[in-house]
Amino acid sequence: MLKKRLIISLTFNDGILFRTKKFLPDYRYTKNFIDFWTADEIILLDVSRKKKLSESFLDIIKFFSNNCFVPLSVGGGIKSIEDVNMLFKTGADKVVLNSSTYNNPGLINKISKNYGSQAIIHSIDCKINSKGKHTVMVNNGSLDTKYSPIEWADIATQNGCGELLINNIDNDGSLLGYDLNLILSITNKFDCPTLALGGAGNWEHIYQLFKITNTSGACTQNIYHFTNESLKSAKNYLKNKQILVRE
Amino acid sequence: MSNINIVDIGIGNIASLCSAFEKLKISYKLCKTLNDFQNNSKIVIPGVGAFGGFMKRLREKEIDKLIINKAKNNVPILGICLGFQILFTKSNEHGYHKGLDLIEGEFNRIDTTMKVPHVGWNECYLNQKNNLFYNIKNNSDFYFIHSYFLKNYNKKEVISFTNYELNFPSSINKNKIFGVQFHPEKSQYNGLQIIKNFAERC
Repeated sequence: MLKKRLIISLTFNDGILFRTKKFLPDYRYTKNFIDFWTADEIILLDVSRKKKLSESFLDIIKFFSNNCFVPLSVGGGIKSIEDVNMLFKTGADKVVLNSSTYNNPGLINKISKNYGSQAIIHSIDCKINSKGKHTVMVNNGSLDTKYSPIEWADIATQNGCGELLINNIDNDGSLLGYDLNLILSITNKFDCPTLALGGAGNWEHIYQLFKITNTSGACTQNIYHFTNESLKSAKNYLKNKQILVRE
Repeated sequence: MSNINIVDIGIGNIASLCSAFEKLKISYKLCKTLNDFQNNSKIVIPGVGAFGGFMKRLREKEIDKLIINKAKNNVPILGICLGFQILFTKSNEHGYHKGLDLIEGEFNRIDTTMKVPHVGWNECYLNQKNNLFYNIKNNSDFYFIHSYFLKNYNKKEVISFTNYELNFPSSINKNKIFGVQFHPEKSQYNGLQIIKNFAERC
């Protein structure tokens, strides 16, 4: 049987690992602390906001690719097929898209044709607007596209993405739990696997995510202290509650 | 001389496959053209992308014929993911495409109530003892990412099955030809063991 995935999502700015809330740097956590062996997958996101892919970020991808032997997804600041070629060459297995689909709508299709849809994770970054509805944000959460999450996921899947990464930005770093209603509405509507990001504060949140929704993977950033122990304890917690995870 | 020749037609990520060989201290060579291939080296065919496009590139470079010849001469071959799929007769991915036809079988889109693609860690149930799975426990987890399943195969050639609502072959062996639907280079200890086994025992 297919296992539920525990995915570590790491955000970098100029090669320095950042925690999520307001992108505050945390120098205690360096890549050396990350447990490659219990994580089922790793997502690396760059928020450097540079015109070109940053060299230090490419070095980080190379480091993970050389050492982790789990699937490696990479995103942030992808603008062209040349960027994508460079990321795959450096060691990415999948790219994470979001803003480019708004700013350069043809790109996702190009990537899908060259690398296959399984090589694309599409982000659905949402905020709650003044009317209390979810709205899709791009450009590091600074621009409201006015698309609803379902409309955005429609665009992504029709253009050939393999997985959807659902994130309520307001929840990001809150440790209050995933936005289950949002995740449920997308996961039930689309055939491709979905991943959840933003809000996990304890193992119970991850359990609720897997129990209530048909989500394939739980992404976490703040929750782990990146030691073997905590990832293992998360998996034990889920296993005791009959959630299938890889040991 | 390198022990392993990796088919490199410029599609997809082979960086992690190279890392795996480096980690295992097994020498390898990336082969972009016919002249790059060496005698007496085993062949690994990685693959990411679409079946039709991949076959087209192999044909343009005439590497398709080379692989068929190597197979005839009993040179060990390992196909990974799409590199596994092209070893078979045909695929129905975006139309009808002929494969290398070294092993009987065809690929059809996953037709179940489950999510497509089939992504994540799933178990391999051994159908027979095989050197490729030396030192690997039955029901071990490997990382999969694919949308097409093998059908109309010969069960005797199946090393392992994997369940995704239905049972499908996740690894295969015929003569000296080996193939895995999962990504050993992304499957940590178990995956590295598969690569080591291919290099040392197949």
